[in-house]
Amino acid sequence: MLLAPAVLAYAVFAFYPMIDVIQLSFMKWNGLNADKHWVGLDNYRYVLHDDPVFWVAFKNTLIWTFLSVIFPPLIGFGLALGLNQNIPGRSPLRALFYMPVIIAPIAVATMWRWMFDPFFGLFNSLLSAAGWPNLIQDWLGDRNVALYSVFIGYVWEVAGFSMVLFLAGLQGVSQTLVEAARIDGAGRFQLFRYVTLPALRPTITIVLILSLINSLKAFDIVYGMTGGGPAQSTQMLAMWAYTQAMQLGDFGRGSAISVVLLLITVAIVIPYLRWTLKRQEAYQ
Amino acid sequence: MQTSRKLRRVALFGAIAMVVASAASAQEVKVWTLTFANDSANKAWADIVKEFEAANPGVTIKVEGRGTDEHKSALRVASGSDQGPDIYFMWGGLGLGGEFVKAGLSLPLDKFYAEYKWDDELLSPALSFSKQYEGGRHGVPYTFHGEALYYNKALFEKAGITTAPATYDELVADAEKLKAAGIPAITFGGTVNWHVMRLMDMILETKCGVEKHDRLMGMQVSWADEACATASFEEFHKWTSNYTLKPFMGIDQAQSFNLFLGGRAAMMLEGDWLVGQLKGENRTADFGLFPFPTGTDRLYGFAEYNYISTKSKVPDIAAKFLNYLESTDVQQKHLGDFGSISVNKNVKYTSAEPLDQKWIEIFGKFPSTFVNGDQAFPLDVTTEYFRVINEVASDTLDPKAAAAELQKFIGNRS
Repeated sequence: MLLAPAVLAYAVFAFYPMIDVIQLSFMKWNGLNADKHWVGLDNYRYVLHDDPVFWVAFKNTLIWTFLSVIFPPLIGFGLALGLNQNIPGRSPLRALFYMPVIIAPIAVATMWRWMFDPFFGLFNSLLSAAGWPNLIQDWLGDRNVALYSVFIGYVWEVAGFSMVLFLAGLQGVSQTLVEAARIDGAGRFQLFRYVTLPALRPTITIVLILSLINSLKAFDIVYGMTGGGPAQSTQMLAMWAYTQAMQLGDFGRGSAISVVLLLITVAIVIPYLRWTLKRQEAYQ
Repeated sequence: MQTSRKLRRVALFGAIAMVVASAASAQEVKVWTLTFANDSANKAWADIVKEFEAANPGVTIKVEGRGTDEHKSALRVASGSDQGPDIYFMWGGLGLGGEFVKAGLSLPLDKFYAEYKWDDELLSPALSFSKQYEGGRHGVPYTFHGEALYYNKALFEKAGITTAPATYDELVADAEKLKAAGIPAITFGGTVNWHVMRLMDMILETKCGVEKHDRLMGMQVSWADEACATASFEEFHKWTSNYTLKPFMGIDQAQSFNLFLGGRAAMMLEGDWLVGQLKGENRTADFGLFPFPTGTDRLYGFAEYNYISTKSKVPDIAAKFLNYLESTDVQQKHLGDFGSISVNKNVKYTSAEPLDQKWIEIFGKFPSTFVNGDQAFPLDVTTEYFRVINEVASDTLDPKAAAAELQKFIGNRS
C-alpha cells in the first residue's frame, strides 16, 4: 500500500511510455494527425536494412559507450583518490571538479564548440603558438576526429560525477582494516589492491552501470556540438531516434530505433548486473 | 459593523466581477515564430506587436521565438494538443509548409483573403505558394527573400576582377583568379547543412536547367539516370575542394559570416537579409552583390509565411493581426528590417543604400523563382540530400556516385 504512489508514478511516467513506444514502433505515424496504422515489422526492416545512417549511429554509440565506461570513471577515480587525501584546498577543489556536472549540457557544448573552432579556437591557437601548425585540426568538421573531440567535452562534463560517487565510496572504507593491514606490513599498493579496491566494489558497479546507461543515452552534448555531423558521422542512436520522430516526423521509425537502443541497454546491463551481484555474493 | 461587512462583500463581488469581465474581454493571440539572426527583425516584431496592442485594447499578442529546428519540433508536439499557437511561422511551399498544411494544422484562409484583399496588396510571386495547397488558400506571406552572391570589393580588386560575372563560366574563372591570388573564393558553414546546400542548388539549376531541375527536386526522374545531376555533384566538389575557405565542415553559418566580414573569403551565398546584418556592422560599403549566374531566368529564393492554426479559438483576431503586419504603413515603416524587399506591393523604396537598390533591381529582373532544396524535398529526403552533399564536401563520397546514392534513398522510400 505504501508503495502504491511510487508504483503509480512509475507506471504512468515510465512503464506506459515504454509500452507506447514499443507499440508505435510497429506503426506508421507522422505525429501530426490521428492517422496511425499498423505496418508490422516495416520500421525495423527499414532502420536495419535501408537506413543509411542507422549503422553509423549504432557503431558510434558502441564506441562512445566503450570509451565512456573507461575514461570518465578512471579520471573520476583518480580525482577521488587524490582529493580523499588531507591536502590543502581539498573542499574547493572537489567543488571545482564537480562544477561541470551542474552546468547545462547545451552550455557545455557551446563552450567546447568555441574552443574547437578551427580558426579562432583555443586548441588550434595553442598548437599554432607552440609551433605545431601541422597538428591543427578541424576538430568538429573532420569525420575522423569529430566524435572523439565531442567525447573530450563529454569527459570534462561527467568525470566529476564519478568522482563524487567514488569519494562517497572511499568514506566507507574501514579505517580499522586499513590500520590492521598497515600493522601487518602492507605497502601503499597492497593497501590499495587488497583493502581499498575490494571495499569499493559496490561503488565501482554503480559508477559503471550509470556511466553505461548515460553513455547509451548520449544526446545533448552531441546535438549541441555537431548536430550529428559532418555528414551524420557523429550521429548516435538516441539522437537519430529523436531526429526521425521529432524532426522528420516518422514516429514509427524513431520508436523502432528507441526499441533497438532499449534492447542493447538491457542486453548489456542485465548480464553485467547479474555477474557483479554473483561476485559480490561469492565475496561475502 | 453590519454595514462594514456589507461594504466588504460588495467590494469583493465587485473585484471578482471585474476580474471575470476583463478575462472575458482579454483575448490572447499566441504567435510562434523564429528568433531571427538579424536583430532588426526581432526589434521590428516587438514594435509591431506593441502598436497593434495599443490600437486594439484587450488584445494581447504573445510572441514566442525559437531556433529553426526547435520551432519545427515544438509545432509537432503542439499539433497533438490544444495548447499550440494561433499563428505559426513556416516557409511557403509544399516542403516544410506543406507538411503542416497536409496534417490539418493550417486553417484555410480564403475568407480572410477576400475580406482583407491580400491579393490586391501583396506581391504575386510571394502569394503563389498560398495557392499550391489542396482545399483552399493557406498562410499569408510576410517576407519574400532572394539569395545571391555577396562579394568583398577589396578582395575582388586584389584578384584583378573588375566586373561581376555574367555567366557561370565567368564565375568559375573569377574563382580561379581569386585562388591564384591566394584568396578563398567563397565561405560556408558546414555544420548547418542548409548553408552549403545553397551552392549545390545553384549548380543544379545551372547544369540541369529549369525543367530538369524541377523534375529532379520533384523526384519525378531518377537522379541516377540524369547526367546533369552527376555533373552537378562533380562541379560542387570542384568548388568545395578548390574554392571554399577551409576548414568549413566544423563551423556554422554565423562563424562563416564573421570570416566573410573579416576578409578571409571573397564571396558568400546569402539572402537579402544579410544587408541588415551588414548595416548592423556598418560595413555595407565594403561589399557588392550579384545574382548567381545560373543562366536561367529564375531567382533563387523563397517566401516566409504565417499560418493560422486550425486550433485557434481567435482566428478572426489572428487574421486581423496578420493584416496589420502586411499593411502598407507597417511594411513601409519597417522596410529593411525583414529583408530588402517588402511583400506589400504598395511600399515605396527610398533607401539610398546601394545593396538595397541592387536587391530591388534583382527582384525586378527575374520573373520567377526556384526554392531551396530543403523546401522542395520532403523532410526525410532533405536529410539524405544534406548527408550526400556533406559526404561529397568532406571527400568521403565520390561525386560520381553521389547522385546514385541519393536515388537509392529515394527509391527505398515507402
